[in-house]
Amino acid sequence: MTRGPVTVTPDDTLAHALRLTREHRIRHLPVVDGGGRLVGILSDRDIRLAMPSPLTTHDAERVDFLGRTPIAAVMIREVVTASGHDPVEDAAKLLYRHRIGSLPVVDAAGRLEGILTETDLLHAFVQVLGGTQPSSRLEVALPDRPGELARVVGILAAHNVNIVGVLVSPVRVRDEKTVIVHVGTIDPRVAVEALEAAGFVVGWPSLEEDVRALLGR
Amino acid sequence: MKTALLWDPGVLEYRFRPDHPFNPKRLELTVSLIEAMGLLDGTDHCMVPLRPATHEELVRVHAPEYVAAVRRLGAAGRDTGEGWRWGLGTDDTPVFPGMHDVTSLVVGGTIRAAELVMSGEVTRALNLAGGLHHGHRDRASGFCVYDDLAAAIAWIRAAHGARVMYIDYDAHHGDGVQGIFYGDPDVLTLSIHESGRFLFPGTGFVDELGEGEGYGYSLNLPLDPSTEDDSWIELHRDLIPAAAEAFRPDVIVLQNGCDGHTLDPLTHLRATTRLYEETVRTVCEVADRLCGGRVVATGGGGYAVWQVVPRAWTLVWAGLSGQEAGNDVPRAWLDRWQGESPVLLPERLRDLPGEFPAVPRRAEVEAVNRRTLESLRRQALPLLSGWGMGF
Repeated sequence: MTRGPVTVTPDDTLAHALRLTREHRIRHLPVVDGGGRLVGILSDRDIRLAMPSPLTTHDAERVDFLGRTPIAAVMIREVVTASGHDPVEDAAKLLYRHRIGSLPVVDAAGRLEGILTETDLLHAFVQVLGGTQPSSRLEVALPDRPGELARVVGILAAHNVNIVGVLVSPVRVRDEKTVIVHVGTIDPRVAVEALEAAGFVVGWPSLEEDVRALLGR
Repeated sequence: MKTALLWDPGVLEYRFRPDHPFNPKRLELTVSLIEAMGLLDGTDHCMVPLRPATHEELVRVHAPEYVAAVRRLGAAGRDTGEGWRWGLGTDDTPVFPGMHDVTSLVVGGTIRAAELVMSGEVTRALNLAGGLHHGHRDRASGFCVYDDLAAAIAWIRAAHGARVMYIDYDAHHGDGVQGIFYGDPDVLTLSIHESGRFLFPGTGFVDELGEGEGYGYSLNLPLDPSTEDDSWIELHRDLIPAAAEAFRPDVIVLQNGCDGHTLDPLTHLRATTRLYEETVRTVCEVADRLCGGRVVATGGGGYAVWQVVPRAWTLVWAGLSGQEAGNDVPRAWLDRWQGESPVLLPERLRDLPGEFPAVPRRAEVEAVNRRTLESLRRQALPLLSGWGMGF
């Protein structure tokens, strides 16, 4: 999440809010009262929906409207929020279920601590998927039953291969799942062979038949 | 044109374990093949000894604490427990006795090559023991303890203030060099490699463009794992001259890893020796046109030690030194090494067209690669042309 995000108060005008979204290139403004408590949220979409149509009004009238309408008149008051202690996957589920783009993060007293956006979640996802350390990537198909992932990890450990990241992807085939393992080695050949010898199917480009024939394996 | 081959048998001590894939035997094989082919004859081509890098030269690109740790571990000759903090003591990059001294020699060799080129004593120089492009600021990785390429580039920047274009043909992404100069607009790093989708180090995607001032000065062309010569050559002919013209380097630093060859056991690319002749030719043409011919070249990855590396790097040396190499591997060289080799040594310097089976999904691979290049051009070249030309 972003700590100390840009905020507005209910008495600020829509013109002020619009300026802030453009200046900071943001789409969501938490609305707080004098005590820093969250009282609403305003998105750039809320502002645009509130504006008179350019087909029926002059520019001057629209500017005037934005300049005299308080945020309190437009903001969403029933705000979906998260706590700083929530797991990131819960926050992701909230965004998905409510079809919203951001979650203000509040403390027990309702004071705003930060904001979590779709972009923050995507960033976290990229970190989890890619890892941040140099690694080779193996895709291993597993039978969907207890102990299989442990077997994979055990084989890698037995070959002194450090695991940089593990991701278990949703079931694609019935009774099977795919685990993506980032291993901290430039040379995973021995580990791949050991996994195969143990009966796992490993996705790794050298497993194409014609390459094996070339290398005499 | 004068050229120098940096060589010192001392670098054969850069050796982790007897059965380790990064095998210095390949250097001995290559240098003896270059000599046997007569490619060091004449007064224009000389062999120059290496010298160790100084502490100052190392800490320009490495954290002093890291250099101190490499010294300690190298003196102990084994991992005393702190190795993991520095990426050492792994199966890839184990601790070995004298590690600091021999790696300093490798680094000093590439800096020496840069000195010779920048002083004008020679136009191009090749340090085959160099090319340790996975060395990071405070971490060893992927067989690389110190990063000789980064140290040589930093030396060129410090001593001459020259703009450096770094080109990396190794099958693995040149992550160490890229990382060290990620924010530097005077060093353009360009790496062409097998996609990090599977292969180590898992980075080197098109969107890694640099940061801050250096945004737009880091270029990556990740290739489909089954890429063959034609597609690779087409892409690099398109990209290298365009990038160089936009950036206007004063010198090119070239990493010649040859592990993209079909027979290489660690990667999945399907190049032949033709690629390595072609890449060097293109780079030298660009250097002749834009920066007085200056190229500082190194070796790099290459794990088909007997069948590929000596031939690929002999072709690299021939290209750099402007000599036409014959096609017969000398009988005397074959006789000298065949007994030791676990495989039959090839008798021709160049692979034959059609010697290896074609990739069944060739059309798809070529299309994927073209799309990647388009994406890179769209994202990166506008930045580079704009800034490089002073707009």
